[in-house]
Amino acid sequence: MSTFPSTPTTRPLPNVGLPTDPDYEQRLAEFEARIEDGEKIEPGDWMPYEYWRQLVRMISQHAHSEVVGMLPEGAWIPRSPSLRRKLILIAKVQDEAGHGQYLYHAAESLGVDRDTLIHQLLEGKAKYSSVFNYPTLTWADVAMIGWLVDGAAIKNQTMLAHCSYGPYSRAMVRICAEETFHYKQGKEAVTLYAQGTPRQRRWAQDALNRWWWPALMMFGPHDKDSPNSPALMRWKIKTKSNDTLRQEFVNEIVPELLAVGLQIPDPELRYDEETGNWHIGPIDWDEFWQVLQGNGLMNKARMEARRRAHEEGLWVREAAEAYARRRMARSGPEKMAA
Amino acid sequence: MPDTEWPRYEVFKQDRPGRPHEAVGTIHAPDPEMALLNARDVFVRRPECYNLWVVPQDQVLTMTRMEMELNPNWADEAIPEDAPMRTFYVFTRQHHRRSMVAATHVGEIQARHHREALRKALESGRFTDKPVYLWMIVPADAVTSSGEEDVEPMFAPAQDKRYRDQSYYGGLIFDKNALKRREREMG
Repeated sequence: MSTFPSTPTTRPLPNVGLPTDPDYEQRLAEFEARIEDGEKIEPGDWMPYEYWRQLVRMISQHAHSEVVGMLPEGAWIPRSPSLRRKLILIAKVQDEAGHGQYLYHAAESLGVDRDTLIHQLLEGKAKYSSVFNYPTLTWADVAMIGWLVDGAAIKNQTMLAHCSYGPYSRAMVRICAEETFHYKQGKEAVTLYAQGTPRQRRWAQDALNRWWWPALMMFGPHDKDSPNSPALMRWKIKTKSNDTLRQEFVNEIVPELLAVGLQIPDPELRYDEETGNWHIGPIDWDEFWQVLQGNGLMNKARMEARRRAHEEGLWVREAAEAYARRRMARSGPEKMAA
Repeated sequence: MPDTEWPRYEVFKQDRPGRPHEAVGTIHAPDPEMALLNARDVFVRRPECYNLWVVPQDQVLTMTRMEMELNPNWADEAIPEDAPMRTFYVFTRQHHRRSMVAATHVGEIQARHHREALRKALESGRFTDKPVYLWMIVPADAVTSSGEEDVEPMFAPAQDKRYRDQSYYGGLIFDKNALKRREREMG
């Protein structure tokens, strides 16, 4: 389903324009003028097929990422070092479940149904952020994910909150408001470790060594290797390029990591006085594509966990449906009092 | 129902008594009671909520200014002669600013059907002090609402969980003693 053809043969929704429509050019010009004016495009408004297709791809991948993102941290809930940390971690994972819901609903506003989205994920056909295919080996990993991974996500989501498509923009604004605590609790936890006992400092450094590059890859391929980006920028689905966001993230987080006594695992990292940019070394894009295509350390485990959760939760869904049917049979199909 | 989609409900949240309800998004649920619970889980992980409404999505008419321009006959709808007059809640959005809210409750209107309600809302001039970009028309009798007695069990628990609020972490990040004190606070 990230497999809608780039050259459409059928119209997915009545309001989606195909390049073969006689009034396509005129409608496209009006559409682009609306976006230029800062107007929000809502479900039901005319939109070009390619806009629709890009949004379906982006939003569904984003939704799947939130849901899979619950797994590396969920494993540590029963093993949190204190009650306070457990409560914080549960709250963070609950947020991610909720964020997945906002995004699935935004995808549904484009006419895709939940059943299709769920089965796409369970059958291993969905793409989601590659960062979640890495294992969380210690509690320090959980802390580092909050600081690095959520920090990177916030950069991206803050930008996407300006998106021209109303439902996605609204989901992003709500997510941004909730995500900041994820980043701050991570920064707090890593700081405690980085300024703690020698063993804690080693754990924090080890976590950074393993999560630094996966976090940088979250911003996606370099601009020149990013085939979707020109359309996304023209229609204000994205408003900043991958490399721009990645550089902003690096510039903000490197001084913070250095300030707590950690070292960045990049021998080529250097500060450029002239531009104010921290220059990073080359990213291993082979690793990125391998992980994205399913050969990461945890891809298989993530999918197995998701499928198990879906199967083991079946009785809950069946019970809810049976209850709803029974109430409807008793009180008739009119509105039931809660 | 087979193991596929459950009906979708629009969710409207009232943050405090006296504030208007706001359209915040949708959830799936098998019935209205589960819809309220799911709406609480999805939209009220932060404290601000006094009342929730859930309405089956197929009972809500949502229309944008653009849709009305593209389909000038949008108001033409055959309405049965004996259709009763009902109350419809009117929600509008009158800006394009970044927001987490799709539309805000601005009033109500009497009509026999959704499109008639929207037409009358437009004609009344009561809601169009500024251009309206999005309308939502919600029949009052399709609303399932949380009650006064639900405020405590459903919404109050979020208020104690200050660690969900990013300001809880502010300023103390580099104060080691304060951090250690906070760690001991809750065990």
